[in-house]
Amino acid sequence: MLVFDHVSKRYPNGYEALSDVSFSVEAGEFVFLTGPSGAGKSTLLKMINGVERSSRGQVHVAGKNISRLPARKIPGLRQGIGVVFQNHQLLFDRPVYDNVALPLVIAGMKPTEIGRRVRAALSKVGLTGREGDWPETLSGGEQQRVGIARAVVHRPPMLLADEPTGNLDPDLSREIMSLFLQFSQLGVTVLIATHDLELVESMPARRLQLQAGRIQSP
Amino acid sequence: MNESATGSGANIRQINRTDRLKAWSRHHRQLFRSTLSTLLNQPGALLITWLVIGIALSLPILLSLALREISEADTRQVIQPAMSVYLSVPSESETAQALLQRLRASSAVGEVRLITEQAALMEFSSLAGFGDVLNAFSENPLPGIIEVVPRERDGAGIKLLAQQIAGQDGVDQVSFDAAWLERLSAILGILERVLYALGVLFSGAVILIIGNTLRLTIENQRGEIEITKLFGGSDSFVQRPFIYRGFWLGFGGALLAFLIIQSSLLYLSGPVERLAQSYRSNFALETLNFGESIGLFALGALLGILGSWVSVWRYLKQIQPK
Repeated sequence: MLVFDHVSKRYPNGYEALSDVSFSVEAGEFVFLTGPSGAGKSTLLKMINGVERSSRGQVHVAGKNISRLPARKIPGLRQGIGVVFQNHQLLFDRPVYDNVALPLVIAGMKPTEIGRRVRAALSKVGLTGREGDWPETLSGGEQQRVGIARAVVHRPPMLLADEPTGNLDPDLSREIMSLFLQFSQLGVTVLIATHDLELVESMPARRLQLQAGRIQSP
Repeated sequence: MNESATGSGANIRQINRTDRLKAWSRHHRQLFRSTLSTLLNQPGALLITWLVIGIALSLPILLSLALREISEADTRQVIQPAMSVYLSVPSESETAQALLQRLRASSAVGEVRLITEQAALMEFSSLAGFGDVLNAFSENPLPGIIEVVPRERDGAGIKLLAQQIAGQDGVDQVSFDAAWLERLSAILGILERVLYALGVLFSGAVILIIGNTLRLTIENQRGEIEITKLFGGSDSFVQRPFIYRGFWLGFGGALLAFLIIQSSLLYLSGPVERLAQSYRSNFALETLNFGESIGLFALGALLGILGSWVSVWRYLKQIQPK
């Protein structure tokens, strides 16, 4: 499902964020990406949805070499990947419904179908009936769950999360993580970058540890 | 993503061409309404933009309407009322009366008016200073004059008519200001070119105004655009709402231009008609007709779409998720 083949990322200023990274993730696997801040976790995730491109080596997603993907094919790649951010990245001038519906609108779905799926996604994250609320009236944990609903509403085969529990207390964090675990049990490939080791150790999942841009052997 | 490799779960990208076309047209229909209502949410800012575009569109159109009226045939009467036929025989003579009859019957002639020697003398002596000059003559030195308003509109036709009349019995000479007519059409030609240039400049200004307004909007929606691109919105998907915004800005601007033009014309029409009546002319300012109004709206909408295309496309491409 996901293959990194001797991937390096060097920024124009000479800073090497990733050095010779190789690993692969099977479809439906649940993987933690750990390491201190600045280890290259975010860069690695960004290379999967084409936000960053590798300087050397290849990234394969679902059998496609995306290091060579032309710019016009990037939207298609991203439509198959759900993303969750630490700061939620919700649109605060839109109600919850519009936020969650975004990937479906991009996919060009019928409004009736969008409504059905948005409600289903919201109920899955425990926010049934909240589609009319405004993001700023929600708590941090609720905002993050809206972000997760948005990331899964279009049922992408892969889900990326960058520090999804960064701003949440331990109980909420566990709740969010168990949500991700449920999605992986439904066959979604889940990759979560986090520095919350305590949480990682409490979960039965594979771990990729990054240190200064390199994968540490387990 | 490769469909065969993703196997599990529904894949939203497994939609066929018809569905994609339906989705595309649905997005267009939806944007047609939603972009207008978004714009109407800020009525003050919208009105100002529409006004600026409306003024920029109405100026060259008002000028070209004025030019059209001036260059139209009727108005020549205002500036070049008639030709003067000087008689070589007394105006009461049979030759003169026969000439008068023939001119009145001629289809090339619109209006005929005889100014007798006596009338000419009175008119002449009323002009300051000439009274004394005429007193030096023992008898009236002025010939009778027939004023002829040609039905013919164009310069060459009027010249031909003048030559025909000049060849008739009892006619001394025919005078009309051919040079003035030629000068007028030359001036109109220059004005026309100036207007074209102005039209191009003002259209360019409208495109820039719309482009600039949209750029500000894009700057305000940077976050939304980045998120949309992160979730797989293509460049044209992201651009589409701005095309529709451009359309509404241009169309609304044209609507205001229409109001500005029609009310200006109505405002001017009274004084202009009074002026025209003093020249015995039926000259009148005409407001925009149906076809011209439709054309104006189409022009506004087109400039709006163009403004969006020209200035927004490259700018939107630069915005990429970080």
